[in-house]
Amino acid sequence: APTVFLLMVNGQIESAQFPQFDDLYCKYCFVYGHDWAPTTGLEEGISQITSKNRDAQQALVWNFPIDITFKSTNPSGWPQIVVSVYGPDLFGNDVVRGYGAVHVPFTPGSHRRTIPMFVPESTSKLQKITSWLMGRHPEFTDP
Amino acid sequence: MAEVHLIGQIVGASGFPRSSLFCKWGIHTGGAWKLLSGLREGQTQVDHPQLGDVAYWCHPIDVHFATKGLQGWPKLHVQVWHQDPFGRRELYGYGFCHAPSSPGWHALACVTWLPRGSWPERLSQLFVGGGPQLLNSDLIYTGADRYRLQTTAAGTVHLELGVLLRHFARYGVEC
Repeated sequence: APTVFLLMVNGQIESAQFPQFDDLYCKYCFVYGHDWAPTTGLEEGISQITSKNRDAQQALVWNFPIDITFKSTNPSGWPQIVVSVYGPDLFGNDVVRGYGAVHVPFTPGSHRRTIPMFVPESTSKLQKITSWLMGRHPEFTDP
Repeated sequence: MAEVHLIGQIVGASGFPRSSLFCKWGIHTGGAWKLLSGLREGQTQVDHPQLGDVAYWCHPIDVHFATKGLQGWPKLHVQVWHQDPFGRRELYGYGFCHAPSSPGWHALACVTWLPRGSWPERLSQLFVGGGPQLLNSDLIYTGADRYRLQTTAAGTVHLELGVLLRHFARYGVEC
């Protein structure tokens, strides 16, 4: 019988730097292979909406806890955490401001990871204008 | 049973708009954890920094836990409060961080956030002070119900924690 091992992940989505945007919230979810299954903890979550402080720091702080334990028989399909950041546009609609993903670290101990974020762009100029007006920017259906 | 010692101190805080701060702290663990010795919550003294704007508390933490399972690994949560010359107390930030799981000495910087009210509340907060506070302080270290909350960034709490683990290898846990 294949041996089972457990991976316990404890940590937080600490903060973000988004120089152009404010009032952002983030969603995280874990993506993993067929041999993995979460045993306890939350597989996805939505954070609070945070805003920048008035002083020079300009960081967006969430301090959002991540607690999950996975059970697996195979390192292939090692879990990744996918983070999506959303914020309001000029008209108040919720628009995606960034997507990013990183693998859960492989070695035991404390780790810090900084995830660069990217946003899909419309392919045609006309779509860019209509999406700015309608508030429906291109988004991934499955991050 | 495996054992964990957390020995260190809450050094101080920086990045808050005013000094004269004190910190209420606590350690939250899951159901399988038992406190063997030490205090699992407390409150520091109020510090008025004379030089610079970093408030130093040097508040010792020395706790000893025994556990039957890894779930509910200790989380240290803090609430930073400001005390003004009239003795009133105002909340300046909530924050939490997990206790490190690898043995050794760690310097932790715990970021904090403050609940943000609507703009009339923020206007009166500017003149009178006092702002919204969490009714349920579990929200500081859990993420389940945060999506309706609006917050703003606050300062950072600095901690130094040494972690000592015992008997984890017996249970097949690599730390």
